[in-house]
Amino acid sequence: MSLDELIAIVPAAFGGVTWGIFGGALPGISPSITMALLLPLTYGMDPTTAIVMLAATYVGAEYGGSIPAILIRTPGTNAAAATVMDGYAMTEQGRAGEALGISLYSGFVGGLFGLGVVVLLAEPLSTVALAFTPPAYFALGVLGLSVIASLARESLVKGLMAGVLGLMISTVGTDPVTGLSRFTFGSPELLSGIPPILVMVGLFAVGELLAESGERGWHQAAPERARIRFPSPALWRRIALPQAIGSVIGAFEGMMPGGGGAVSSFLAYNEARRWSRRKEEFGRGSPEGIAAPEAANNTVACTTLVPILSLGIPSSNSAAVLLGGFLLHGLIPGPMLFVSHSGVVTGLFAGLLAANIAMLIVGYVLMGPCIWLVSRPRPYLTAFIYALVVSGVYAIETSLFQVGVALAFGLAGYALRYFETPLLPMVLGVILGFMVESNYRRALVLSGGDHATFLQDPVSAAFLTVAALFLVGSIAGHALGARRRRGAELPA
Amino acid sequence: MPVGGRISLLALLAALAAACGGGDAEPRRVVTLVTHSSPGGGSDVFLRELVPHLARLMGGTFIVENVQGGSGAKAMAAVAQAKPDGSLFYATTPTFIYTSLLSDPSARYTDLEPLVNLFFDPEVLYTAADSRFTTLRDVLDRARTGQGRWGAANPASLERQVMEQLKQKAGVSPAITTFEGGGDMLINVLNHTLDMGAGELQEIRAQLDAGRLRLLAVVGDERLPQFPGVATLKEQGVDLAVRKFRGLAGPKGMSAELVAAWEAAVPKLLDDPVYRKRYMDNSLQPGFMPHGDYARFMEAFGAETEAFLRQSGVIQ
Repeated sequence: MSLDELIAIVPAAFGGVTWGIFGGALPGISPSITMALLLPLTYGMDPTTAIVMLAATYVGAEYGGSIPAILIRTPGTNAAAATVMDGYAMTEQGRAGEALGISLYSGFVGGLFGLGVVVLLAEPLSTVALAFTPPAYFALGVLGLSVIASLARESLVKGLMAGVLGLMISTVGTDPVTGLSRFTFGSPELLSGIPPILVMVGLFAVGELLAESGERGWHQAAPERARIRFPSPALWRRIALPQAIGSVIGAFEGMMPGGGGAVSSFLAYNEARRWSRRKEEFGRGSPEGIAAPEAANNTVACTTLVPILSLGIPSSNSAAVLLGGFLLHGLIPGPMLFVSHSGVVTGLFAGLLAANIAMLIVGYVLMGPCIWLVSRPRPYLTAFIYALVVSGVYAIETSLFQVGVALAFGLAGYALRYFETPLLPMVLGVILGFMVESNYRRALVLSGGDHATFLQDPVSAAFLTVAALFLVGSIAGHALGARRRRGAELPA
Repeated sequence: MPVGGRISLLALLAALAAACGGGDAEPRRVVTLVTHSSPGGGSDVFLRELVPHLARLMGGTFIVENVQGGSGAKAMAAVAQAKPDGSLFYATTPTFIYTSLLSDPSARYTDLEPLVNLFFDPEVLYTAADSRFTTLRDVLDRARTGQGRWGAANPASLERQVMEQLKQKAGVSPAITTFEGGGDMLINVLNHTLDMGAGELQEIRAQLDAGRLRLLAVVGDERLPQFPGVATLKEQGVDLAVRKFRGLAGPKGMSAELVAAWEAAVPKLLDDPVYRKRYMDNSLQPGFMPHGDYARFMEAFGAETEAFLRQSGVIQ
């Protein structure tokens, strides 16, 4: 690669990452929308610069999503939902700077790992995507849903109720098999379903604001003098394992069409907890609970390139926008791209490396202002978040209907808080519901209604077994915990 | 910033540039082409490639605006309410007919006036190159035993319609399943979950060029110039052809001069060597239809689609 090309790529990477962090941090604006907004502007650029800029935007957005997740309990992107639990807990303890540092550093580690995988293994790993049949997708979704058992800490029943609510919401829209409109009441706005991001913005951001408004004595936000800190050597060692877990899970998820960042974050969070020596800290401000999902979703931002580059198939909405970027510049991604336009491919790899470094720098610079912003007196902050949420949601499709949907879920979030029902199982249900349902039905159409197909498919059988073991383990854990609590009460 | 915001900013800049240009007596005309697809989506790419060539041939400034939401319902409403002065057009695809029929949008496809058609997206039937089926007949024979597995990209789509009609006309009984888009289905053809898939040539081009897919039939009236060896369904004894159109529509009440200007410009555009290379690379088939023909075509397409959706029980 020539010096000229490099000179064009580095600013593109910085520009893309900065734009991505802002887009990802705005509740309602998903990584794919952030990229789509940028796409028309890249039309006049040369192909490599344009593709690098789009890919860098994706990288930046995956980190950006964690900023509001950590600071104001509102995930900016689907994939940042798992970061809310421990990230916001740390903020409440006045450790917001530390939490952001862990997220940034873990995203960087995950991004580099993902890039390594793409550069070295894109071609052989494309077979991973091909191993996924409808039964396998169904089983992957079930595995994801089984995480609910561990997300529902105090009450398994409430967790399941929230999960089922989420699944019900995911049935709105076009029926995946017959094409019938379901629960749309004739409204074209509902034809393509309720976007998970609206559910999350409503449940988390609006619901939290409503709940806070009802509290007496508004206090100053906690992290007044929270310093931005990168992990100390001891912490480095502690979060190395969750980062590794997140990176590996993210690497696989990125390659599977339909997987996407959100599933990988939840699975990574769950596995990190399972293998942690300090399980009890999870949900109460564990650095590991940030490191795993954030490493995972940044790995996905890189490995999502595997199916695009090797097969020409986008594995997520963001990847689809990237594919559009390729097409707009007359490039057809797929097996022949490495041969016909190898310069673009190497440029893209160099650009991704630059993007990950840019994320570290830009992310660090932006942390200060972000923390300052959320340290303002509570009433200002509340008004600001309302404005942010409403304008963000409105901007997606310039639709007041969607703003209404987000506000309605805000009310639902308030009600769920009142009944002390966990929110994350519901989010998981919304994210995974369509994937589970559509692939279940597809698999049965293809097998002529024979359920044995889920056990005959090796990938599906493996996932279902893991999910079953996991469920049995969690339920036993719940039962044991309940007995111990009863036991503790008795002797008195 | 919302898409609309940036677009109007662009329009403003364009108008400013024109005003500063000084030479023309009147400000340059700004024509907005609206699509329901998101940036990078099928119609968006089509319009953005088209725009520089249109500007060159017709003069004026052309802008692409993405009016997403409601699977085309918002875009249709925006165009139906616009003044028919030639400043706003909508990029038509079968989606706007499906959305009109499947839901209850405030403006339907019948509330717009088809202007001209530009292209057809060739629809093809294909299988994996290493599949045990080498011809359409093999696939149909297998489906006759009741074990066939066919796929279409989306549940309520032209591809689905093609598969259901093929099943009927060939008198076979395969399982037909649908996916969330062409890429999703392509994987299931490549890994042999499906015997055969139906889709646009453009979606499978990369795999086709790499020799991983085999074309079984063209679902159109004629063979494709890029693949002269692949026979149409009609040639293979099944009376079935569809035309997935790409054209423009405007608000009702456009003047005859306006229509005539477009009818004159589009054939020239399609013959332009630079543009021709670009659209052939993108696997689009030129398919110019003047206003009158296009309106009749659209009416027939709508009626046929409605009949199909009714018959299959999707709408009552």
